Amino acid sequence: MNAAWIVFRKELVDALRDRRTWFVVLLSSLLAGPVSLLLIASFVSSAEESAARREVIVANAAAAPALVNFLQRQGAMITDAPSDYREQLRSGRLQNAVVVIPPDFEQRLAKGETVRIEVVLDETASRAQAAVRTTTALLRGYSRELGSQRLLARGVSPQVLQPIEIEEVNLAGSRARGAQLLFLVPWLALVGAVVGAISVAIDVTAGERERGSLEPLLMNPVTTGSIVLGKWAVAATCSAAVVVLTLAGFTAAMQFVRSENLAALMQFGAPEVALFLALLLPFSAMVGALNMLAATYGRSHKEAQTYASYITMIVNFVPILPLFLTIRDAPWQLAVPALAQQTVLMRALRGESVGPADILLPGVIALALTAAALLLQARLLRNERIVFSR
Amino acid sequence: MIEVSNLAKSFFARVEGRRAQIIAVSDVSFDAPDGTITALLGPNGAGKTTTLRIVGTLVAADAGMARVGGIDARREPRAVRAQLGMLSDARGLYARLTARENIAYYADLRGVPKPEFEQRLKALADLLDMGALLDRRTEGFSTGERMKVALARALIHDPQHLMLDEPTNGLDVLSTRALRRLLGHLRSEGKCIVLSSHIMQEVEQLADRLVIVAHGRSVAHGTAAEIRQRAGAASLEDAFVALAYDAAEVAAR
Repeated sequence: MNAAWIVFRKELVDALRDRRTWFVVLLSSLLAGPVSLLLIASFVSSAEESAARREVIVANAAAAPALVNFLQRQGAMITDAPSDYREQLRSGRLQNAVVVIPPDFEQRLAKGETVRIEVVLDETASRAQAAVRTTTALLRGYSRELGSQRLLARGVSPQVLQPIEIEEVNLAGSRARGAQLLFLVPWLALVGAVVGAISVAIDVTAGERERGSLEPLLMNPVTTGSIVLGKWAVAATCSAAVVVLTLAGFTAAMQFVRSENLAALMQFGAPEVALFLALLLPFSAMVGALNMLAATYGRSHKEAQTYASYITMIVNFVPILPLFLTIRDAPWQLAVPALAQQTVLMRALRGESVGPADILLPGVIALALTAAALLLQARLLRNERIVFSR
Repeated sequence: MIEVSNLAKSFFARVEGRRAQIIAVSDVSFDAPDGTITALLGPNGAGKTTTLRIVGTLVAADAGMARVGGIDARREPRAVRAQLGMLSDARGLYARLTARENIAYYADLRGVPKPEFEQRLKALADLLDMGALLDRRTEGFSTGERMKVALARALIHDPQHLMLDEPTNGLDVLSTRALRRLLGHLRSEGKCIVLSSHIMQEVEQLADRLVIVAHGRSVAHGTAAEIRQRAGAASLEDAFVALAYDAAEVAAR
């Protein structure tokens, strides 16, 4: 029997008997995936609903019957604001904007004055953003209509006041707009891959040394290369298992949600799952090897955890960089691990085309880094300072 | 047969913030014939563990030679490891595996066929009186139970050579007796056994031949009687103190 296979079999049994392994695998995949997807779905649908329903909450609506009439003509549904609306907005119970009409609204308009209408909102309530845009647009429309009437009454064409007409033409399809939220889907799978590898990677390296079983293990007549290979295979398998379960979680959640909003947002069928696997399995191989390498330098379990957490931080952070820096897709992104996977998978979710090079290049880079990390580690295990350092 | 000649090994370590060269072994030579228990006797830090690690191919010597069954430890480390069993200073077990699984892992890595493994395991379990332990996970084993599993693991491939680093450390009387019984049995089979210790009484009981190691050098070898005679001392302890420590060191204590 091949030595690497013997090591793999033993470490797999050992890992499967470790409660930490199961905790990480189940928590990161079965919970994180579906829960986040459900959150996205409910976020998207309620945001779209409140925007589409054009619900306008008005305090003191009785003081402005003409405005209410205008709003209703525009298809808005008028709701009276609760008396403690400020409190409700602040606590987030009310996720919309409230239009506050001053008591002398009609009288002052009749006198030709400019009347201030307050639109009260809590900007941190993200769902209120879409609603407030609708509400202010409606109010501006009313303002424009009144202004036009005043000009006409004085015999001036309303066009005098509108030398420029602005029309927004959004090139992003509605799917692409929603896909901004969807960075969570590949990102969770990437983070899952790292988290899935960590506990096993540390246990088979720093853990082995800390419990004093590394020295006897190295006394066996096998090469350090086959020991490293067997151990890595277990770390990579655990990482890949988390990826597969996360994707299964997404697929199951997609069936369960059955939201048209979400379906319109995100393409996630069998071809997408296959693409995710093609990109993420080499990534699992890489994070397994890198986590093991980092943990090998740790003199104790604790130190190894610190080193491995650097890798986790990088993988957490790199994929969301484009969100902050507003980088558009560029070819060099395919050469940066984690960023490459994120970029290509986002393209797939947005329904854009993904070519063979988009899959091959990140895969080849990930596998090359895997091989380099494993070779280096096999050498480290022949280094007495690494083996015996306390 | 294990032959060691003029071994030297130093390494670098941080001492009070500065890099300092520490000489672990400066000149160790001894022969350990088959069918004999040879003990390296010396104070802590004398270089016994480093010597065993060099013979076991885990550490490369700066100078000198170590041969196991005629094979050079530096040139053919894997061939040396194949015919060597070693109970090292570190004798960690896998806590989530049973004793049997721990031992089977090493048997597999050493290519021991299944029927032979079962047979050897039964023999070792009888010799070490550990039959009841075999199917328990090793988590929570006592020091003695751990030593038995580690010893069975090191012997599962029936090596011609066995090295034990401080084998009786932390063992109770019964476990020490089990160890002594096993070593006696292996000696009668013609195996070559080398152990290290700093405990005089134990060495006198266990070993046929002694090598006294002090300050990285082997300063004397022979049977206990020969060493007493050479040092002109009444007891092995007196002989050991006379050979292993400088006069100044003794006076200072």
